[in-house]
Amino acid sequence: MTEDEIKKLLWQADKTAGGAAPVRVNLSAIRRRAGRKNLMTLVAPLASAAVLMVALSISALMFRTTEPTQEQEKIALLETRIKQLQARTDAALGLIQEVLDEERRQSRLDELQAQLASIPDPLEEVQNQVDKTAFILVYQADRLYRELNQTDSAVENYNRVIELFPENRWAKVARQRLSEIENRKI
Amino acid sequence: MAEKIDDELLVEQFRRGDESAFERIVEQYSADVAALANRLLGWPGDVEDITQDIFLAAFLGLKKFRFDCSLKSWLFTITINKCRTNRKKRWLRLRRFSQEIDKVSFSSACEEKYMDADEFRHVRRAVATLPAKYREPVVLRYLQEIGTDEISRILGISKNTLHVRLSRARKRLEPELAELIER
Repeated sequence: MTEDEIKKLLWQADKTAGGAAPVRVNLSAIRRRAGRKNLMTLVAPLASAAVLMVALSISALMFRTTEPTQEQEKIALLETRIKQLQARTDAALGLIQEVLDEERRQSRLDELQAQLASIPDPLEEVQNQVDKTAFILVYQADRLYRELNQTDSAVENYNRVIELFPENRWAKVARQRLSEIENRKI
Repeated sequence: MAEKIDDELLVEQFRRGDESAFERIVEQYSADVAALANRLLGWPGDVEDITQDIFLAAFLGLKKFRFDCSLKSWLFTITINKCRTNRKKRWLRLRRFSQEIDKVSFSSACEEKYMDADEFRHVRRAVATLPAKYREPVVLRYLQEIGTDEISRILGISKNTLHVRLSRARKRLEPELAELIER
């Protein structure tokens, strides 16, 4: 099948169809519609801008409700700082309490140490009692020997002091007295 | 050449605000535009509404027209675009009212007997089933008898592409139209 044959068939079909019906273009309608379209080209951007503004306003309002504002952020920051300060204060109070407890313990310890210091040394006490007893024995022996002339009883007491408390200073005195008595007898 | 000068004068007059120049353009080209629309839409006969739309688009765009091609080619380009849109709309409408096509088709046809009704319907259907990219070159080349240079400008395609499309269109039409030749 050739190109011309196809062309001929198409041409015949076109002729058979009879062509387009006579067209009457309505120029006043075209002018009217063109005026409307021109108006739309002016109005459409303005309307779009208005819609955009409304959308932006709505979105801004939505953000205001959903997103934290600057003030809310400040409040949140302050709350965080307050919490941090509270934590620091609690820690400081805990430390102060510990220091006070330590001081209290130290004070109690000092008090106990003072009490302990105030308690006399029992060994020294015993030594004092020994010294006192030895003195009393030497004093009585001296009275028996010098005031009552009971030399035997006095020698017995001096010997008792030397026997019971040989390291005491009164034992030394007792030995001096016995020596004096011996010397007198001679 | 004289026609082009006339067109340039008319367009210049229109640009300066003389709308009577547009009336003259309509008088001069409305028949050609309507014929092309009639062929591109598959010979529906009644193309008044689409012609009105085409000249509205021309009225709105004429001030920007810079004579990169002839005024007629520019109007044909608008016609092709409007017909594409129209066919899409019509196709969507026909999907709902599928019986419409045959009722519309032959009412205004067959005033003169170049072929009988069946043959006409056969050719019409063969052309109508072509995709737009093949149908448009076929109509412009074989029915409008426009040169390939002008067609490639109107359709915005290269000459090679145009030849390829025409060749493929013929190949698609051949099996459909062969039996009519044999008669």
